[in-house]
Amino acid sequence: MAIGGGYGFLDGVIFVNSCDAMRRLHDVWKRYVPTKFIHILDIPMGNLSLGSKYFETEFLKLKGALEKHTSSPIKEEDIKNAIDIYNKSRLMFNQLNSLRMEDNPLITAGSLMRITSDFFKVEPEVWNEKIKQLIEEKKSEPSKAEQNKNPRILLSGSPLHEIEFIKFIEEIGLNVVYEDLCTGSKFFDLNVKASNNLISSLSEAYLTRTPCARMMQIEERANQIIKNSEKFKVNGVIHHSLKFCDTYLYDVPKLKEILVESGLSVLFIESDGGLGNINQIRTRIEAFSEMIKN
Amino acid sequence: MASHNMLRKYFGQLETSLRNKLETKITARRRFVYEIARIGSRIFNDDWSIGWTTVFVPYEILNSMGVSGMFVEFFGAMLAGSGMSSKYLEISESKGFSTDSCSYHRTIIGAAMDGLLPKPDVLIGASIPCNGGVKALKRIGEIFNKKVFILNIPIEVTPKSVDYLTEQFEQMIEYVENETGRKLDYDKLKKSIRYNNQAREYLVEVNDLCKNIPSPANSNDLKNFIIFLLLQGTKESVEVAKLYRDEFKFRVDNKISGLPEEKYRLMWIQNRIQFKTDLLNILEEKYGASIVIDELNHIWWEPMDEDDPLRSLASRIITHPLVGPVDRRLEVITQLAQDYKISGAVNPAHWGCRQSAGARVLFKDALQKIGIPLIHLDVDCVDERNYAPGQIMTRMEAFLEMLSN
Repeated sequence: MAIGGGYGFLDGVIFVNSCDAMRRLHDVWKRYVPTKFIHILDIPMGNLSLGSKYFETEFLKLKGALEKHTSSPIKEEDIKNAIDIYNKSRLMFNQLNSLRMEDNPLITAGSLMRITSDFFKVEPEVWNEKIKQLIEEKKSEPSKAEQNKNPRILLSGSPLHEIEFIKFIEEIGLNVVYEDLCTGSKFFDLNVKASNNLISSLSEAYLTRTPCARMMQIEERANQIIKNSEKFKVNGVIHHSLKFCDTYLYDVPKLKEILVESGLSVLFIESDGGLGNINQIRTRIEAFSEMIKN
Repeated sequence: MASHNMLRKYFGQLETSLRNKLETKITARRRFVYEIARIGSRIFNDDWSIGWTTVFVPYEILNSMGVSGMFVEFFGAMLAGSGMSSKYLEISESKGFSTDSCSYHRTIIGAAMDGLLPKPDVLIGASIPCNGGVKALKRIGEIFNKKVFILNIPIEVTPKSVDYLTEQFEQMIEYVENETGRKLDYDKLKKSIRYNNQAREYLVEVNDLCKNIPSPANSNDLKNFIIFLLLQGTKESVEVAKLYRDEFKFRVDNKISGLPEEKYRLMWIQNRIQFKTDLLNILEEKYGASIVIDELNHIWWEPMDEDDPLRSLASRIITHPLVGPVDRRLEVITQLAQDYKISGAVNPAHWGCRQSAGARVLFKDALQKIGIPLIHLDVDCVDERNYAPGQIMTRMEAFLEMLSN
């Protein structure tokens, strides 16, 4: 799509050295997709005691590269404003997300994933305003929510961009009440502290947030899933991995073991993130749904 | 359930058999494999602690602490070479490890599950070359209830990134000290840097000699030479490197070709096929095609400073062509293709290798620019269960036919 010009509207692309595939995507993009600004941000994993300082220098490098590209300095005040706006977004998302803690979730995962997806596309102030209104609407009209007693699911795993995939799970008769995904609820599980070194605060916040699989901290990851499963009163966990997504695939056996030991039911599914081969997955999710209903 | 006694026996027998052969005739290859077998046996020697690692970690530091470091991919390759990988692949797959992931790593996870590996004292994984290696090490650590120390290799070469890795080495030393009670012998480390520099000089000569047409090396002389990493910084490494230099120099001076009637000069990208296959023998004997350079045998680092060993080692790892964006690797591949005057390049395109798969089009592109054809074999270098020798041979034959035009 990018080679075909499908991303021609972008002014620049910032890659993160999150995994082998992403590093290679950066290489291929640089070679085949003419883009005005391309940058790769390195991010440490596992051993983080020295990592925070290093990550800070990576942020400073990114800042420098952006300043050079735009010929415009990024002021401390600009960073502070951006942190405030994004902290507000995360706070509001979590308020909205908490509506799913109710026995009868007041918002569906499909709708919430649409909202999450919008977050990556629209101006954050506009998004914040929209969400503020939505929260008020939802709180004032709880009775209108559709009643259902479907099993409650926490969805974990590789990033998912296909909203239809989540809707598909819901249509089978499950309430997805938390997305432990870098493109879902987990994305908003972050708070940047105010300090006199904002780049350092950003570095610390992003490195110490709930880890995804690439951070090589499976115990912390599992504990967070268990904690959110309790908080959102889930009946089971669906772990979805994209095909060839090593960082998640290598975690599956151990993660499953830890979660099952904690009393959670777990279903592992693997797909290309789209709706191909969906019927085979449907059968497995239906069987899982039956099992956790009992 | 296997026992690690099996492994002890394997290395012991290999060591004895090679020692006997060396008594009758010394060849560089024989001595090299013998030294590797000795390192294998060393993991059963109580004078040493055991370290399971990924491939790019500073073995010089571990050796200077009395820790026998061994990268897990080496075991994966060794088990494939001895026809045992299928068994361990099946074990790890039965526990839920994806068949799409790298079989080097799946093999070793299966072997650890089955009790083949002795318990490590330390586990050290580096973020480069791949995520799979660190993940595999994490799973192995869980089997033995041991934590894994992770080295983050920065993707850009700057003085600050060298500082960062140097500081991580200091932490790693502390971790090894805590886990094993062994201290770093600084004089030994200095000496190992000296040995590394001496061996490096010989290896540069070895590689230069292989630029001759015909090359003094055949396809097997420097096969899997990446495991030389395990020897680096030892007296033996200097001896092995010197033997290769002397042997190749003798061949060049006396016009002895590694492969009689060398017709096609090939470059091999990344790792070789590890299980037994007669592919290369057929290519040599029937077609006169020889591997004259393996990408991974390139000496990429500068001589090191023995008075600043940690920083020197950090710099060596950070500058490896597989670290960071692919540009440096492409430069090396292009340079090697020109220096060794190759006719074509072979990339096995090992199934499950994420760090290389995404770059395959770029390998082809870079070589095409200098008029060198490349073939992707699309084989799994460790898992022989799906290997179709006839199909691979047919493709190689077609490739060689194309090179002859």
